[in-house]
Amino acid sequence: MEKRENLLLFLAARTRSLESAEDLVQDLYLKIVALDAGADVRAPTAMLYRMASNLLIDQVRSVQRSSRRSAEWRMDTRVIHGGEDVVDEPPADEVVAGKQQVRLLTEAVAALPPKMGQAFRLHKLEGLSQAQTAQAMGVSIKMVEQHIQAAIRHLTQRLRP
Amino acid sequence: MTSIAHEEQAIAEAGAWLARLQRGDVGEADGLEFDAWLDAAPQNRAAYKKSLAVWQAFEVSAEQVAAELAAASRRAPMRSAPTRRWMVAGGGLAVAAALAVTVLPGLLAQPETQTYVTGKGQHQRVALADGSVVDLNAESRLSVTLARSERRVVLDDGEAIFDVAHDARRPFNVAAANHVVRVVGTQFDVRNRQGELTVTVARGKVQVRPVAAAAAWRAYSLTAGQRMEVAQNGAVALRTVDPQETFSWRVGRLVYREQPLAEVVADLNRQFVEQIEIGDPALGEIPITGVIILDDPKSVMSRLSLMLPVRTVPSDRGLLLLRK
Repeated sequence: MEKRENLLLFLAARTRSLESAEDLVQDLYLKIVALDAGADVRAPTAMLYRMASNLLIDQVRSVQRSSRRSAEWRMDTRVIHGGEDVVDEPPADEVVAGKQQVRLLTEAVAALPPKMGQAFRLHKLEGLSQAQTAQAMGVSIKMVEQHIQAAIRHLTQRLRP
Repeated sequence: MTSIAHEEQAIAEAGAWLARLQRGDVGEADGLEFDAWLDAAPQNRAAYKKSLAVWQAFEVSAEQVAAELAAASRRAPMRSAPTRRWMVAGGGLAVAAALAVTVLPGLLAQPETQTYVTGKGQHQRVALADGSVVDLNAESRLSVTLARSERRVVLDDGEAIFDVAHDARRPFNVAAANHVVRVVGTQFDVRNRQGELTVTVARGKVQVRPVAAAAAWRAYSLTAGQRMEVAQNGAVALRTVDPQETFSWRVGRLVYREQPLAEVVADLNRQFVEQIEIGDPALGEIPITGVIILDDPKSVMSRLSLMLPVRTVPSDRGLLLLRK
């Protein structure tokens, strides 16, 4: 179980919140238990990360823009059951961030060098994949990753959580 | 290197890792390298958590920030004096940076998880800090995390009745058998035994959906008096029930309608330390309808044998059921 936090941090790179990454970790451990009910959960690290990567690719991709997905999903539920929404509030991790914070974040992005800012906007804010961002900007995927990496460094240093 | 230089280095590496983990083909090798990097130095982990908090702050407000940026560029399309504009903005930045310190760290707080386990014949009532009450049936394992944005329960195995305190801002999610039961405030029973899931609602409304995003369309809304059963193969049955029958284990009774004796005995074997064995498999198929009062296994079986063609003999583990 000592790997648990590392796995959580690995998965959280692609989820909306630590809470939803925690759900994935939970899911992962349940899967491992299901694989072999007798085995304890000290699965070899490689297998843990193989399964975690598959989760990231299969599952997180489909939920990445999850506010949109969630709206669709609520609609599906309504269509299928003809009932009202069960949860009368949006899930808490989707509660809109405060105006103050939005302003801080916006200013931080606006201060990035132009190419870096563009890559960050397309990839992070508009939800394009690295490959799609590369295509939109007419640069290599490697270059997009470098822009994103530098953007994260700038933003972290500026916002200093 | 100075410690500040170390920290800068770690922040740069953390950014590289976050960017790398966004790759479309991220895999096991990336994971193992990432794992080793995290463990290599405490400042790596700390730097990654900081970067992650920033990254996720953008995730939550992506649409709003994108809209603000778009609005800003409409207001000032390539003006010749953007410098002054941003100098003014810069004046606010020291304040902004100071505020960010209080805005962001909340994302990093790791809520504690409490685990509760009951053995054979044990029931436990757990009062949670949010005012909700959970009654845990015998041979059950459940963990609770009261996080900032949700109340999360994992029912690994067993059965529990949830009396959920209303808190619309913090949904109460119960994960069991690859499904999530989501509620705001209500009373319901979740049973997860041998991979079969049963959710019964006494009050309010709950939502049950598979954990896998791909199967999200298979979500169900349940209202008071409804029960959803999900078989191991995923087959779903909805029925109307008297919830008090499902909840009766809490007051020492089990209620059955046309359930095979084998299931009844499996339930009894969770409620008593003394174990009942069915000697003849055909007996296990006999349908049982009625109320069983959980006093002790001998009395339970002697009452059952009045209605059924069975007799009990003592065995080394408890009681053996034989055909009369």
